[in-house]
Order: sequence, then structure tokens, then C-alpha cells
Amino acid sequence: MTVVQLDRIGKSYGGFKAVEEFDLTIHDGEFLVLLGPSGCGKSTTLRMIAGLESISTGLLSIGGAPMNDVEPKDRGVAMVFQNYALYPHKSVYDNMAMALKLQKMPKAEIQKRVGDTAEMLGLTDYLARKPAALSGGQRQRVAIGRAIVRTPKVFLFDEPLSNLDAKLRVKMRMELQELHDRLGVTSVYVTHDQIEAMTLADRIVIMNGGVVAQVGSPREVYDTPADEFVAGFIGSPSMNFIDLRRNGDDGWTSVEGHLALPPLSFDTGQRADLRLGVRPEHIEILDPGADDGIGMTFDAKVLLAELLGADALLNLDVDGIRLLARVSGTEHPVAGDRLRIRFHEAQLHAFDCESGRALERGVPTLVS
Amino acid sequence: MNKRPRIGLYTLVALSVVISFLPIVWLILTSLKNTAGIYAWPPQYWPDPFTFDNYVKIVTESPELLLYVLNSFIVALGCTLLTLTIGGLAGYALSRIKMRWGAVLMVFILAVSMFPPVSLLPSLFQNFLKLGLLNTYSGLIIAHAGLFLPFTVWMLASYFRTLPPEIEEAARMDGMGLMRIFLTIVIPLSWPGFVATGLIVFIFSWNEFPLALVLMTQNAMRTAPVGISLYPGEYAFPWETISTATVIAIIPILVITAIFQKQIVGGLTAGAGK
Amino acid sequence: MMSSLSPLDRRRQQTGLAFVTPTLLVISLILVYPILQSIVLSFGSSSIDGSEPYRFVGLKHYMTLAGDDRFWNSLWVTLTFTALSIPLELILGVGLAVLMNEHFRGKGLARLAVLFPWALPTALNTLMWRWMYNADYGLFNAVALQSGIVERPINWLGDETLAMMSMVIVSVWKTSSFMALIILAGLQSIPRELYEAGRMDGMSKWQEFREITLPLLRGPILVALIVRSMDALRTFELPFNLTDGGPVTATESLSLYAYKVIFDFIEFNYGASIVVVQFLVIFVMSLAYIFTLRNKD
Ligand SMILES: Nc1ncnc2c1ncn2[C@@H]1O[C@H](COP(=O)(O)OP(=O)(O)O)[C@@H](O)[C@H]1O
Ligand SMILES: [Mg+2]
Repeated sequence: MTVVQLDRIGKSYGGFKAVEEFDLTIHDGEFLVLLGPSGCGKSTTLRMIAGLESISTGLLSIGGAPMNDVEPKDRGVAMVFQNYALYPHKSVYDNMAMALKLQKMPKAEIQKRVGDTAEMLGLTDYLARKPAALSGGQRQRVAIGRAIVRTPKVFLFDEPLSNLDAKLRVKMRMELQELHDRLGVTSVYVTHDQIEAMTLADRIVIMNGGVVAQVGSPREVYDTPADEFVAGFIGSPSMNFIDLRRNGDDGWTSVEGHLALPPLSFDTGQRADLRLGVRPEHIEILDPGADDGIGMTFDAKVLLAELLGADALLNLDVDGIRLLARVSGTEHPVAGDRLRIRFHEAQLHAFDCESGRALERGVPTLVS
Repeated sequence: MNKRPRIGLYTLVALSVVISFLPIVWLILTSLKNTAGIYAWPPQYWPDPFTFDNYVKIVTESPELLLYVLNSFIVALGCTLLTLTIGGLAGYALSRIKMRWGAVLMVFILAVSMFPPVSLLPSLFQNFLKLGLLNTYSGLIIAHAGLFLPFTVWMLASYFRTLPPEIEEAARMDGMGLMRIFLTIVIPLSWPGFVATGLIVFIFSWNEFPLALVLMTQNAMRTAPVGISLYPGEYAFPWETISTATVIAIIPILVITAIFQKQIVGGLTAGAGK
Repeated sequence: MMSSLSPLDRRRQQTGLAFVTPTLLVISLILVYPILQSIVLSFGSSSIDGSEPYRFVGLKHYMTLAGDDRFWNSLWVTLTFTALSIPLELILGVGLAVLMNEHFRGKGLARLAVLFPWALPTALNTLMWRWMYNADYGLFNAVALQSGIVERPINWLGDETLAMMSMVIVSVWKTSSFMALIILAGLQSIPRELYEAGRMDGMSKWQEFREITLPLLRGPILVALIVRSMDALRTFELPFNLTDGGPVTATESLSLYAYKVIFDFIEFNYGASIVVVQFLVIFVMSLAYIFTLRNKD
């Protein structure tokens, strides 16, 4: 049972706080992904777990034992780096065997472990080679193999796929998934790529500026983002945001343009304004004549249409507001077309304008 | 392109090459003349007769001149090894380990290297006398190491900074201590830096004059630059011997420079460029 | 901050300190302690072997120094030598670097040729030149006399002005190559696109040099200037081997004078005061350079 517990962990460099109050329990066998833009403190958090950075505040425990002052090698964790970090002057075999040799494991045992791991990763034919003679994908496999042979209690990954080309990245992603299913070892995985995060994670931790913005399953962070940052970060292309002001009838009018909306089913309190969020894929294009008047429908003009392949992105002008919509099908509208679109109330998000916190769904407070 | 600038270019290049080599070539030619040829009028531009007598004479009559070269070799080699060893460790600590006084220490090390060597002489001479280090190889080796450590630390630290730190971090995760990381990972990965630095330090030590002059007072312990400079006979400078000894003393440097030209130039420019 | 270091960091720092210690020891023994001792010596009187105890004499030696014509002469010689050789080295260094940056056959050999003078011991270089300068049997006079340029041999090292010039020439010959190498590295780091853009703008070769090359070389040039000036200000074996400071004291540098005071006249304490002043000169000069560097950036 390896539970990793981060008890209000923080890291400061001089006066600069790279990570603040990181509080989380990582369950046994869980695949946890740290996701966020570059510089938000993901690597720092991971490296504190690894022991490569000291912990400024808070307590880290792995498998119940406090780890703050324990050397990296004694934490029972293994790490896979973005640039592989293989020993360039040693063979694949020696790279994988290094930790075991340092533990003074009997030679036969080392050979067996490295051999088994190499076979699992399809590296058996390359054991004698130097890293320079391997492809990028093979190098990353060696790096993973080096972690596996140690049978660690926790795997740590720092953007392990970022140096690979797009195709290989997808392939390795799947391999990582299979590997995790097979070994079931608690894993912490850092990435800035939301697709990686969505596909691999049991839970995602979204970080922003050194602070945790939200922890949740991929579904949760997509469906119910905790704040505007998460809402904008998850999903591609990004969510549309519309600033709204309450009008006299307890409905809402956009601050720019003149989009008018009926009362919304959010717990708005006495707020006079809020920020509405609509994902591009949640803007429905109505077939001509299908406008049954139900829900929120609007006139829209297509300013620009970009074909992505199966889908198309439409740049729409809706009552003076620019919105991005994602539509499927090959016969998508083209620039200059006039359309009717619909928002579905259940797919809308609302945020506090100042704090950016998401508003709960609930009965709207009427002020007029 | 047009021809004229090319001709100009080659003329300038040829001129620089000739000027660079002229004193060395003239010296070599001198060493290959007999005494009459050296002092002849009209002057001999080409040795006539062409003779290796001076070289034979040095071996048979003034073997101390060869001893100077041997001394230089021992001191320069010892200084290079000592400097690379302890300077490498210091450079590694200063480039990779966050230490509270690390930056201050680096500036301090560089600042003390500004002192003119002659300003060290009165006190070094006294201290070495007291410590019995005058006229010993280890004494001059340590003295040269002191002179060239700042350069070494600076060079190697800049080199270590060019290595990806993740490899060392991976080694740390694998269970290596800092010393083992330094020995088995850092040194193998940065040997070009060690070679370049070592070559330059070797040349520096081989060429160093004031400390070698003062700390080696016995004739038999002198290094080549000092021994040859102080060689003169009673009346006139014996140019036939001096030129020959000088040629012998610079050959090792000429060879090293020719073979390792790339590394030396790379090291010099990297050191100055940062 | 009080020691709030995590044990993890503290262990690392302790190892780091252990790694630095041997270097610090050697530097302290060879550089730091002697410098401090020289300063102490310069304010007292003592004997070389320590048989006579140290006695504090205050500024006595510095007062003597202020009235010592030979000291002022050596300071003047050192500054003149520096002021003459550095600009020449710089000009030749830039020229050589531009030359070496071109593509031509035999470039490796040419680069080796400029590297040699730098790599060889100054003391021996100086001997080679002294041989060529030799009034009776030297190469220069041989050529000059035979070709009829002069009728009587030139006394290259026996005339005050000529001796200084001769010394400057040896120094320039030796170290222009060092300047060239550093500047060349700077040249090679200038992106080619800049020149292509310059050509699009219709710059001439000279304008390219003025507008692109020179401004971007400022950094390397300043580094080279600092290193070389510090070298020139402490020049020792060059006059030691070329002229022994002569004729009379026309080429006697500070270092050489200090050496003579210490080891020929056996005046340790007085010599120490000279080297302290010399150090101050170098220190001020470096500060001046560093400030120019700072201000320009
Ligand atoms: N050694 C360090 N010293 C100072 N600041 C650092 C150091 N390492 C990281 N940082 C800062 O901490 C923040 C988080 O860095 P990091 O964890 O590497 O971000 P991420 O991995 O999410 O891109 C960044 O702003 C970075 O500049
Ligand atoms: Mg990172």
C-alpha cells in the first residue's frame, strides 16, 4: 500500500513562492496527473516528492513514513525525465542496472530483472547499445525501464513524452497506460498537455501560479471546472467567456454588444454581473426551420470558417459578440452565412467576475 | 567573385604567418649553424654547414639544459593534475550545489587571481623557506596550482553548467553520492572541458616565470624558461647553446599546441567569452 | 535568516564545502596569505629569514617610495608600455580576427601560426627577439645593413626610445594572437542573418564592419582588454630577459624594479610597499574597466 501524502507542501526560492500549500492524498495505485501551464510549479512539486528539491514548508509522507529529510534514493521512488537523462557513456543494460548495482544486488538477480524488464519493453535486442544509437522512443523506453527495474513504490514522470514527435507520443501514451494497468504502481505524472492528462489520469490536479486550482477526475474538471482558469485551460479550443450585467427583468445583457439572456439557473446571489462560459463544442447550429423557440437561440453571422478535418471552427458574430463554435460535418457553413444558434442551459458555466470562482447551479436570486 | 581581394587576403595571411614564425624559424636556423656561422659576416641566412653539433654538444656538455626541460615537465604535469583534481571538485560544487556563499566564493576566487605574481614573491619566498619548500617540485607545483586554480575553477564550472543536470539527478535517484556522481558521471561527460583546461594550465605552468625564478634557487631545480634565461656564460651570451636549448624547450609546447589546437582555442575563447 | 535549512540541503552544502576546501586552502596559501603578508611587510621592517623580529614602522616605506625617482620611473615605464602595446594589440587583433574569419585554404596552419607566439614562454620568446635585435649579429641589422637601408648598425636595445619600442613589439607580437582568438570567437557568434539584412539595406563592407561587427564585438573586446591590461601592468620577464630594464632604467617595469629591490637589494619591506602600490594600480584599472563595462550595458 503506497499512499503519498502531501500535507500543505510549499517551496520558496528566496522570496519567490514556486509552490504554495499543496495539500493532497494520492491513493494507492492511482495515476495522478499534474497539469498546468509552463512555470506553474508542476516540476517543483514532483521534484519535492522525488527529493531533488528540499521542501520549504509542509510534510511529505510516502507509505505513511515522513520523507522530508530522506535522501532521494531511500524514498522508494523512481523518476522518468523529459530529456530521458540516460547515462550517455553507458550501455542500455548498465543504464537500467545502475540503481540495482548500487544497492549491491547479486549479479544474477540484476541480470534477471533487467532482462525481464527489457523484454517487457521490447528492448532485449538493444541492451548492448549506447543511448546515442537509439531512437527517441527507445530512449524513453530505457528511461522507463530504468525506473521499473527498481520496483519502486511510486513512479514520477516529468513530461516524459514532450520530446517525442506527435505520432510517437500517442503510441507511448498508450504503452504507459498499459504499463500502469499491469503494474498498478502509484504514479505522479507531470504534463502541460491536456490530452495526455485526460487520457492517462485517474485524477487531475490543475495548477496555476504555484497553487492548486482544482483536483478531480478528467470528467469533473471538464464538466464542472472550479474556476475560470480551469474552465479556460481545459478544452480545446478554449471556452468562450461573455461578461454579463443584470438587467431590469432579472435577465442578463452582455457588457459588450447587446446579447440578451433570460434569468439563469445559477446561484447568483445579489450579483449585478457575472462571466458566462460556453464551450465551442456546446454551441449548437440549428438547421434552417428547426428553430422551435425553445431555449436560448440567437442570430449569428459567420465571420470566418476554419476546417480542421472532421470538424470546423466557426468565428461567429452573435449580437455584437465574438464567439467560437466547433461544428462537425463536412458541409459546414462558410464565411458570410447567417445562422441560428442555441445555448443549452445545462452546458453553460458561470463565474464570479472578481474571484473567477465558478457559481453553483441553483435557484437564481431575483432582485427586481 | 573578383580576384583582387583574394590576392590581398592571401598576402595578408602569408604576412601574418611569416611574422609569427620568423623568430622561431630564425632561432631554429641559428641552432643548426656552427659557431662561426652564427657570428659570420656577411650573415648566413641558411646554415652552412648545416650541423646538429649544437644539439650533440648540449647532450654531452651541458646536460643541465635538458634537466631544466625535465623539471618543467614534472612541474607542469604535476600542476595540471593537481589543479584539475581539486579545481574540478571546486568547480563542480560551485556550479551545481546551491551554497549560501557560492556566488561570493566564485567572485572571491576570481578577484584574488588579479594579484600580480611579483607581489606574492616576498612572502612566498619567506614562507617556502620556512616550510622547506624552496627547490622542491611539490613547492613549485603548489605555487603554480595557486596561480592557475582560479582560471581552472572558472573554466570547469562553466563547462559543467553546459551539461544537462537531469543526468546527475537521475544518478542521485539511482543512489549515487555527490563524489561518485562527479567521478563516474561528470568526469566522463566533461572530459573535453578537462582536456582543454588541462592543456592551457600545462602551458601556463610551463611558461610561468617569476615564481619559478624565485622558488627554485638551485641550478639543478630550475625550469626551462628560467634556467635558459639565467644560463649565460661569464662574458657573452652563448647564442649557439641558448638557441639550441630554447628550441628543445619549446618543442613540447609546439607539439602540444599543434596537436590540440582546436581544444586550446576552444578553451581560451570559452573562458574569455563568459 | 537563521539556519532554516532542510537537512537534505544541509548535507549537500556540507559536501559542497568539502569539495571547495582543497582549492580554498591552496589559494589561501599561495595568493591570499602572501598578499596580506605583503601588506603587513610594507608597514614594517624585518629580515628575510625571520631572525630579526617584525617592527612596525608605519608609512615609512611609502614615504620613501614617494621620493624614489626610480620607482616613479618604473611606474611611468609600466604605464607607457601598457598604453603603447594594448591599442596596437587591439588593432592587430581585430585585423587578424577578421582575416581568420574569412574562408581560405590553409586556414588551420594560419591559425596555428598565430597561436604559437601566445603558447610559447614569454621568457624564451624574449630571448628569440633579443637575438634578432642583437646589434652585431642580429637578423634585423643584418638585413638592414646588407640592403643598404642603414650604414651603421642600429642599437635596438641600447637606445632608450628604441628599447621601449622593441619591447612593445615583442609584446604585440606575442599577444595580438590572444586578442585575435577572443575576438574571432565573438565574430563567429554574430548571426549571419544580420549581415544578410545589412546587405539588403545596401551596406558597404566598411559600413557592415562599423554598424554590425564592431558594436557586437564590444563584449569580447572589453574582456580581452581587461585580461591583457592586467598582464601588461605586471610585465616582468619581458624586460628581465630583453634589456634587464636598461639602458639604465628606460625599460624597468614596476615588477622588475620590485624584484630587484627585493632580491638584489634584499629590501623585503620596501619591495613589499612597491608591490602593494602595483596591486592598487591594477585594482583601480580593473575597476575602471568594469565600470565602463557596466555603464555601457
Ligand atoms: N532553482 C530555482 N530558482 C528559482 N526559481 C525557480 C527555480 N526552479 C524553478 N523556479 C521557478 O519556479 C516556478 C515553477 O517552476 P517549475 O516547477 O519548473 O514549473 P513547471 O514545471 O510547471 O513548468 C517557475 O516560475 C520557475 O521560474
Ligand atoms: Mg517542468
